[in-house]
Amino acid sequence: MKKLLEISLGIVTSIGGFLEIGSITTAAQAGAEFGFQLIWAILLGGICVIFLVEQAGRIAAISRHTIPGAIRERFGFNYFIFLLVIVGLVSLLVLASEIGGICIAIEMATGIRFWWWALPVGFVIWLLMWKGPFSLIEKGTSLLGLITVSFIVGAVVMRPDWLSVLRGSVPSLPSHDQARYWFLAVSILGASISPYLFFFYSSGAVEDHWDENYLGVNKVIAASGMSFGSIISVAVLILAALVFPPRGLKADEYSQLALLLQDAFGYWGFVLLIASLGIACLGAALEISLELAYLAAQGFGWNWSKNQRPRDEARFSIVYTLIILLGAIIILVGVDPLQLTILSMAFTAATLPVSIVPFLFVMNDRYYLEQHVNSTFTNAVTLVIILLASVVALVTIPLHIFGGG
Amino acid sequence: MKLVRDCLDKQLVDKHGKPMGRVDGLIFEWSPGKQPRVTEVEIGAVAQWRRVHPRLGDLVDRVRRRIGVVKEDPCLIPWKKSVSSAIEVVTDMEAEKSGALDWEIWLRKKIIMKIPGA
Repeated sequence: MKKLLEISLGIVTSIGGFLEIGSITTAAQAGAEFGFQLIWAILLGGICVIFLVEQAGRIAAISRHTIPGAIRERFGFNYFIFLLVIVGLVSLLVLASEIGGICIAIEMATGIRFWWWALPVGFVIWLLMWKGPFSLIEKGTSLLGLITVSFIVGAVVMRPDWLSVLRGSVPSLPSHDQARYWFLAVSILGASISPYLFFFYSSGAVEDHWDENYLGVNKVIAASGMSFGSIISVAVLILAALVFPPRGLKADEYSQLALLLQDAFGYWGFVLLIASLGIACLGAALEISLELAYLAAQGFGWNWSKNQRPRDEARFSIVYTLIILLGAIIILVGVDPLQLTILSMAFTAATLPVSIVPFLFVMNDRYYLEQHVNSTFTNAVTLVIILLASVVALVTIPLHIFGGG
Repeated sequence: MKLVRDCLDKQLVDKHGKPMGRVDGLIFEWSPGKQPRVTEVEIGAVAQWRRVHPRLGDLVDRVRRRIGVVKEDPCLIPWKKSVSSAIEVVTDMEAEKSGALDWEIWLRKKIIMKIPGA
């Protein structure tokens, strides 16, 4: 019964934690500009994340090591510091985007410009981190995040041409604007395969004291949770494809996102959109702040656990305090959250190999995983993900220049 | 024991299981006619940055001296008091008294404890 509850909560957590400002924005722009044609990119990203998250949970359950800790041990300090700088900078941009997303949601509700909300929002995120235990951050915000299921209901209510939706699941070449199409495909992958997701997941498994008995739970959570999360992103894309083109819009301003659920639910659609955007971004902001503190603490060997008091882990607490402050300042100075989101998703895509390549080595190390090392099939899939990430990393910046919009 | 694999970069914990940092370096003793022997484990920012580049280590050391928070860096832990297990290196010392947590203690006293709810 306890396991069943864990699985249910895990799936709910994954659904709530999957959707954030990057996946909403990239899916909305893809739908607005290319109809259902980029659904395949979301599904591909979802499959990659399932495999990476399962591996992150497995190493934590078997060895009590998190991915960053294992990377430091196997690749040494020099690689770890390289990873910390790259992932740290990209995650800071993503965190600022999430804070911007919450501020935009509040702006939609109040009419007061988003930057005025940057510091209050940053303070609320910090307060939740400072006072809240891990379970509150992991499960509380994710349970609230279930409101994003309204995107799936909205997509069904709008009655799309399901055959066209299915056709979009298969990669195809665009009839126009090739650079933009591929840029959006790469950004969707960047939004889906976020390193913070699997770093956070492995830390969470250690925080929740997973052991070998949780291997099955881990597989179910990784597969079901990430699949449902991808389906919500697909729903956003479907809604965007149905709502924006008839109005001649390209989802290139956050204010346009307010229309996503309006055709399906009227005024309540507007309310649901604000709540979904705000809560999804809040959940992601908490996860990213925590992930950065985990990454630093695990790599340097500091005391870390979200279940301890700040006084018992001063350096860990200082890291997330500073990161949240920096993220809020970026929005406070008036950086456009939409442009920042697109840029941060592109940077995430460009730096993917740095965090994914070590998986292949660590997950085949019997020292950590004993008989639970990767199977040939999982290795083959991980290798394909690494190749994909490398290609994505190479083409992202040129595509951003020619197709970034 | 394979020192690089089983010891370097491993989590170092004190006798109560409290994290002290990661093993950033190993000090060897060389005597003529004898096998080299590990005498101490190094931890701290200077040892870490020396691994990236010796000049970076020197720079971090100069900054450390100017700030004055950490009295000794690298912090040296006697090898004979340490045991390497599968997950971590355990030392028979008190983390708070070892010097490895100088920054942690300074931040706790000067900043964290001044914030309500710490």
